[in-house]
Amino acid sequence: MRQALHIFKKDVRHLWFEIAVVITVVVAFAFTGARRALWLVDPATNRTAAWTLVLILLPLAWWTLIARVIHDEALPGDSQFWITRPYSWKSLLGAKALFILTFVNIPVWLADGVIVRAYGLPLGAEMPGLLWSQVLMAIVFILPIAALSALTTGFVQLVFAILTPCVIALGLAIVAPEVVLGGFLGGLDWVKTYYLFLVISVAASAILVWQYAMRRTAAGRSLALAAGILAVLGMTLIPWSVAFRIQSWFSKQRLDQSLVHVDFDSRNRWLTRAVIERGDRVRIELPLDIAGLPPGIIAKPEGFSVHLQGPDGTVWQANQLLAGKMGQRFSLEAAVDGAFYRKIKDEPLKVRGSLYMTLFGNRRTVRVPFLDRSVLVPRVGVCSATGGVHRQSYFLICSSAFRFPPVLVSYSFIPSAKEAVQDVWSSTEPRRPISYSPFPAEPGISPVSQDFTFSTVRVPLSEARVDTLEPLAHIRRNFEIDNLRLGDFEVRPAPVSP
Amino acid sequence: MSNILRTSDLSKRFQKTVVLDHLNMIVPEHSVYGLVGPNGAGKTTTIKILMNARQPTEGMAEVFGRDSRKLSPEDFTQIGYVSENQQMPEWMTVEYFMNYLKPFYPDWDVVRAQELVRLFELPPDRKIRNLSHGMRMKAALASSLAYRPRLIVLDEPFTGLDALVRDELIEGVLECAEGATILISSHDLSEIESFASHIGYLDRGRLQFSEEMTSLVDRFREIEITLANPSPSPISWPAAWLNTEQSAALVRFVDTQFDQERTIAEVHRLFGNTHQISVNPMPLRAIFVTLAKAGRKAA
Repeated sequence: MRQALHIFKKDVRHLWFEIAVVITVVVAFAFTGARRALWLVDPATNRTAAWTLVLILLPLAWWTLIARVIHDEALPGDSQFWITRPYSWKSLLGAKALFILTFVNIPVWLADGVIVRAYGLPLGAEMPGLLWSQVLMAIVFILPIAALSALTTGFVQLVFAILTPCVIALGLAIVAPEVVLGGFLGGLDWVKTYYLFLVISVAASAILVWQYAMRRTAAGRSLALAAGILAVLGMTLIPWSVAFRIQSWFSKQRLDQSLVHVDFDSRNRWLTRAVIERGDRVRIELPLDIAGLPPGIIAKPEGFSVHLQGPDGTVWQANQLLAGKMGQRFSLEAAVDGAFYRKIKDEPLKVRGSLYMTLFGNRRTVRVPFLDRSVLVPRVGVCSATGGVHRQSYFLICSSAFRFPPVLVSYSFIPSAKEAVQDVWSSTEPRRPISYSPFPAEPGISPVSQDFTFSTVRVPLSEARVDTLEPLAHIRRNFEIDNLRLGDFEVRPAPVSP
Repeated sequence: MSNILRTSDLSKRFQKTVVLDHLNMIVPEHSVYGLVGPNGAGKTTTIKILMNARQPTEGMAEVFGRDSRKLSPEDFTQIGYVSENQQMPEWMTVEYFMNYLKPFYPDWDVVRAQELVRLFELPPDRKIRNLSHGMRMKAALASSLAYRPRLIVLDEPFTGLDALVRDELIEGVLECAEGATILISSHDLSEIESFASHIGYLDRGRLQFSEEMTSLVDRFREIEITLANPSPSPISWPAAWLNTEQSAALVRFVDTQFDQERTIAEVHRLFGNTHQISVNPMPLRAIFVTLAKAGRKAA
């Protein structure tokens, strides 16, 4: 510990200028971030350009400081003075970790606290997010650059090491975006993100420990390359059904869903379709009914897998993630090959499938008066509403700390006159896609995210309302349909007139 | 006398290039061991493996009886290492550098450190980046002698230094390294012949010989023979004779295993009667030139 402190003091003395730059940018971050909290009251405080600049400068300043402190005792090579001195690798690594904690984590942790407080968000309630955001910051902003710095001797090598995979990823993203990003998994996308975080944190930590303990750079670089490949493969190959299973495992099932079942919606059998499409494809549409939902619970289908089997054993399978709306009724759509369709269309078909869904409940409504003051909205953060110039425009803004709300949020404006329309603006659909992540923070620099809406209807409004629906369970239900003859439901598109 | 440094079948390859080829070397305690050889012979690689700065491909290197790959910080408190191409903390002043290193060494002698700075005429408040090459070497040496290391390893320490600085460094080492074992590498024999007690000659990754300086000088002789009658060259020369030359009645060679009686008997066996045999001791430089030439010829 004594040696670690000794090295730490040396680094502080050597890198005082870089430290001063980081602290200055963090102070600017705290100041502009906190001032932005007032923008609804005083639009002059919303200095977007300064805020954007700070958000760009902050990671650059951190990365420079991290790289400089690690390169001060560069690990690759055989000519550094310190490698033949009685340095303990644990002390050296400890000194670097202490340095990063002191001049990267703690200042931004404090700045985040200042900003969150400025928005009127309760610091005590946001503490898990405040702490978890530091974990994410370590994974996203610190560990990768620290690991790359441990594998390089100087800034030029480091920039090259950063740019090379970026250029490769950019090229791949242009040529084959699904290879780099995989498909977007909606509310389940956090599973892929955390897979990436897991790979980064395990690989970067292993590289750091390995390099400090052994200084075997070639092996460390191979590990970094393997981690990069593993990350891309995982991001590409993780199927949504696996993500859903992980989600179910992580989420507390706070609902008795034993009676929930999915059936063919025979009352709306006429909604069944076999639409002949171009390119020898046929779009099959099957109406399904989600029944047995407890009172006040709404289902949101997330995806399905379906298995069509003809009497001769011919099989067609489809597996699809949905971005559909919420509701008890649902039309499953799957594209099948024309040749398969022609073979089975007049045969009694057996359909087996699974529907993956999220059950929402615990609806809460919070009233937000136009009083230029914040109202605490549970699981959202704080919301404030204000009337615009001559009361013709009304604004509602909700601020959430460290992540977008883990609930579905919808807003409405309520007119003050009874004869006016009930809801001037309302929606039962969420304002933005929800993330089902069970963690209290999402990756990012800004500690507060905001959602904003307004009404320009020329009627006086009495208040705004914020409705929230909580995801209570993520479940899968199987369904079966027998003796379905798709040919009976065939739809041919009308010929296009010349 | 126990061994401070030892290599056993030590090999190092960089892809297909063999830099060290089954090197077996022993450095006895309290010796001043000069590791000499031409550029590219593998001296620096040997030293870097001994200092755990590089990894061997095969074989083992031991320092204080411990595998060099497992040298601990405690072991390094007893080692002083100075290299011509060492990367120093350029931003530090000489004084800060000495003060910075002090807590790493339990046996750091503050008075001695100050004396060394004075002896080498180092400017305490000057940054290392602003020192001349000679001054940097002095700073490195001062910082490696202040804790009385048991082992001092100097890798080409005199390269690029003028004679005056070189002599100052040698004086400094000898004054302050009492009782220590010194391993010093050089491609220039004259740099170390005045104070080395043992010598090892490395060529193309192989140790050609390793022995005490006195026995080395004793066993090398330049022999010149004037034959009574001109005779043809022998079909094969003895293996211990190098740089053999013969012209009519004159024969010249270097005997690497000189023994008065045996050498003269061998001469008579090969050439019969001789008019004159002249035996001359060789300076160290001549010995190495002979060895280097013979090595190249063999290659």
